Parts: sequence; structure tokens; C-alpha cells
Amino acid sequence: MYGFEAMTFNVHSGYLEAIVRGYRSGLLTAADYNNLCQCETLDDIKMHLSATEYGPYLQNEPSPLHTTTIVEKCTLKLVDEYKHMLCQATEPLSTFLEYITYGHMIDNVVLIVTGTLHERDVQELLEKCHPLGMFDSIATLAVAQNMRELYRLVLVDTPLAPYFSECITSEDLDDMNIEIMRNTLYKAYLEDFYRFCKKLGGATAEIMSDLLSFEADRRAVNITINSIGTELTREDRKNLYSSFGLLYPYGHEELAACEDIDQVRAVMEKYPPYQSIFSKLSYGESQMLDKAFYEEEVKRLCLSFEQQFHFGVFFAYMRLKEQEIRNLMWISECVAQNQKSRVHDSVVFIF
Amino acid sequence: MGLWLEPNSNGRTYCSSLSCNFRNLPQVQLRSRIVDTPISNRRTEMTMERQQREEEKKPQTSENDKDEKVVQFLDSLNDYLTLMDSLSSALRQGWLELASARHSMGSWRINSAILDHKFHSASTTLQLSSPDDSNYNMKQPHFTLRKWESCDDEDFQSKEVKLDEDEVQKNSDDVQVQKERSKTLLVFGALVSPKLRDAQLSFETALETLVDIANRRSVMLSAYDHVREEILGTKQ
Repeated sequence: MYGFEAMTFNVHSGYLEAIVRGYRSGLLTAADYNNLCQCETLDDIKMHLSATEYGPYLQNEPSPLHTTTIVEKCTLKLVDEYKHMLCQATEPLSTFLEYITYGHMIDNVVLIVTGTLHERDVQELLEKCHPLGMFDSIATLAVAQNMRELYRLVLVDTPLAPYFSECITSEDLDDMNIEIMRNTLYKAYLEDFYRFCKKLGGATAEIMSDLLSFEADRRAVNITINSIGTELTREDRKNLYSSFGLLYPYGHEELAACEDIDQVRAVMEKYPPYQSIFSKLSYGESQMLDKAFYEEEVKRLCLSFEQQFHFGVFFAYMRLKEQEIRNLMWISECVAQNQKSRVHDSVVFIF
Repeated sequence: MGLWLEPNSNGRTYCSSLSCNFRNLPQVQLRSRIVDTPISNRRTEMTMERQQREEEKKPQTSENDKDEKVVQFLDSLNDYLTLMDSLSSALRQGWLELASARHSMGSWRINSAILDHKFHSASTTLQLSSPDDSNYNMKQPHFTLRKWESCDDEDFQSKEVKLDEDEVQKNSDDVQVQKERSKTLLVFGALVSPKLRDAQLSFETALETLVDIANRRSVMLSAYDHVREEILGTKQ
């Protein structure tokens, strides 16, 4: 019952909510980012990060460092924190935490299938997979020739099985089919996650509905922009949009017909929450759109911590941590390429 | 038969055989008329005057040639350095755009592990024309870039072949090149970020600049050889 979570929430999930709020206080601040942006080399970045909670993960890395090494070690920290929370969680929080990782699972499946199609070594592909999306039989994906085999041999025993019903075909896998499969799976996953949160009810349903709707709308915009000038038809594009969100259904109809970024802008400016995002961009520009969306997402995620006794804080923390890792990746790339003047193009401050 | 010059009120000099305007020359008009004069004496005088003028001009012509060669060398060196600078900025731009694409799409979508190892023909080739070739008349080697050759369309023309003036043909080639560009990006997925497409264009520009640099270097070395020959010839 909404409003009465305070009576029962702490019985099973109070400890973990305290843990995640503690993790949140360990996120990098604007002062940390300013110090990192002034580094001259990747070793300087490592030195600055050694004073943060990333210190133990980077201290044993030999020089010269690479940007991918920094990202891998920071991701390991996120994985350790997630596993600590998952092993302590009971139902329904444990299922909620598992839902958070299904997106990475989909990405890993697509990576393995794409790499196999390009005749790459499976071990090499497994090293590039996101650790949060690993499952036991992932290496067997390399055997499948089409989606039907993919489902029958491997994915039927994974949490992604229910999402395959819309994209099972016997067509051989190629780059276009794989892209359609990726987006169809992600659409099904988001809708399933949305239904699960709605079923939980209370503050979790309210906060997660807002966050997942924003995610669905952002996906719709990205799919539209990325498919401009490609062979994806209007109907196929519309089928990739999720069936919820602020843009559903009329915004989706208009987005499906867009042929350039200015038409996308005209559609999105009809919706007040997105008007502020597109007002930051000049006409014909899409370079800063990602940053504008990330800033809006971070704002919403931080707001979720203002309320207690809901599962949204766990989702918000995971997303904020991923944003932090993206920030560190971008800063490292700018420092490594000696392009520090561009470092603020994509860094999103969390606090 | 002889020729004489008359001033022209229009201020133009007409050369009857060449049909060109020399605005900076004295304002005369060239006309031809048949005149009865002792031809052989006049011819001998003119020939002797011409020979004398040529003897005076010889050291000046040699100096001018030398200066011209040095100027050619310096020009080619300047072009070479300018091209190196533009190569550097194109590559910097490309690498940053690639990093931006990885930031946008995720590092698991853009990494070396998913590059295609299946056998496929090169989309772009480099052709070298050397002075040893029977069909090639230049003194220095020349590099030619042929882009997007993996296209199956029979009407497709390479970059180095002069495009027809027909707009339709040109548009068709542009569309084909766009398709080839999108096809090479399929390695990273069918729906890629515009930042990745920008990175592709930057690296394409860098490749064209590299070929220009190779050609310019070839010209520069040839000019240097000429200057060196002149200097050694002078010392002897």
C-alpha cells in the first residue's frame, strides 16, 4: 500500500538501502572531476583515483596505463558492489536487481553472435563481455547459425528466453538481423521490467515508471537518429519503439516518419520535459544530444534518492555508477589524445 | 615583306596569329603589309641583332632557370608541410570522434574484437604509376587512390576518373558511395551513432591527404634533385 512502506520495507531491505546510500556517497564529486580534468597523463589519473574508492582496484596496474584498463577496473568495482547487494537480497529485491543486468546480458549475446559471424575467437569475445551480463552457457552461443538455434540451444534456459518470442526466425544471422534482434530484445526487456515495477506498486512503481519511461523515450530518439539514411523502413523503425513512455503512441508515429534531426527536434519539442533538452542544441546539431540526455537522466536519478523505502535507489545507483565510469572513460581518452580542451564536451557532473 | 607597328586608339595589341590580348604591353596594333625593301640586307641585319640579343640573355636565362627551380622546390616543400599539418588535424579529429562514438554507443559495441576477419576484397586500393611503366610519361612516381571499389554497380567510376558533367550520374555515384560507407560500418551494427559516421569521414579525409602527401613528396624530391644538379653544375 502506497505511503505505508515505512512499516515493512526495512524488515527485508533496510540494510541494503543503507548500503546503497553509503555507496552513493562514494561517487566522485565536481572537485574530483576538476582535478582529473587537469591531469596530463593517465598515470596522473591513476594517482588521483588512488585517493578515491577506486584506489584498491588500480593500485597494482603497471604503467603505461591504457584507457580500457581504467574502465575495466572501475567496472570491476561496480560488479563487486552489485554482487554484494545481490547475495544479501531477498525477494522481490533480488529479482529487481537481476532485472537491472538483463540489458548487459543482451549486449553480451549480441557481441558473441556478431563476433562469431565475423569469424572471431570466442575467448577473445568473452574477454570483451560486460561482467554484469555473464551467464553460464554464454560461450555456447558461438555454435548457433540462426535465431531459432540461438534460442533452442542456449537462451531457453536464461532469463532472456521470454523476450525471444517476437524475433525467432530461421533466417541466417547477418548484421541487419542481429541489430533488429538486439533492439527487439531490449524493447521486450524494458516492457517486462516496466510491468514488474508496476506490479510491485508503491513508491517503487511511481519512481521506476518515470525512470523507465525516460529510458524508453531516449531509446526511441536514438533509434530514430541512428536509422536516418539507412535501409530501415518506417514500419520496422516503429516496431523497435517500446510500448510505453511519454512519447507512446503519438510521438512514436511522428518519430517513425522523421528523415532528419530537425524533424526529430520538431517532434520532441512538443513534449515539455524534452523541450529543455532540445533547447540546448542548435539547429541541425546532434553532437551534444547525448550529453543533454545524460544530464537529464542524472537529474532524475539523483532525485530518486530524495525518497525512502523503494527499490528505485538501487537502479539509480547502478546507473549513476555507469555514468561515472563513462565520465572516467571520456576524461582518460581526452588526456591520452592530448585533447583536454574537449574534455567538458561529454563529462556529466553527478553532484 | 616586312612588319611594322602602329599605335592603336583602343589601347590593345592584336597578335594576328595568336588572337590574344596583351593589356600590359605598349598600346600598339600589329598589322601586316607588303612593302618593297631590299630583303637580304635587312634579313642579315635582323639576324645579327637577334644573335647578339640572345648572347646577352644566356647568363640571365640560366640564373632565372636556377631561381625557378629553387622556387619550385620551396613551393613543393611548403605544400608538403601544409599537407602534413592537415593530416595531423584530420587524424586527431578522427580519433576523438571515434572515442566519442564509443562513449555514446558503449565500448562493447565498438572494439577491435568484432572486426570482420572473413575474407573480403578491399574497398579502397592504391595504384602506383612509376616512370618505368610504358603508359606513364612523368618523371616521378605518382600514387592514385581508388575509393569504394568493392561496389558491384557497373556504372560506378573511381575517384580519379573525371566525372561526367551529367548531374544525374554524379548523384548516382554519391548515393553509391554513401551506401558503401554504410556497408563498411555494418561491422559495428546497422544502427550506429552519427559520431561514428563522422569518424569514418575524418579517417577517409586523412587517407586522401596521405596519398596527396606521397605525391607531393615525390614532386619535392624531384625538385630537390634538380636544384642539386644546378648547384653541382655551377660549382664545376
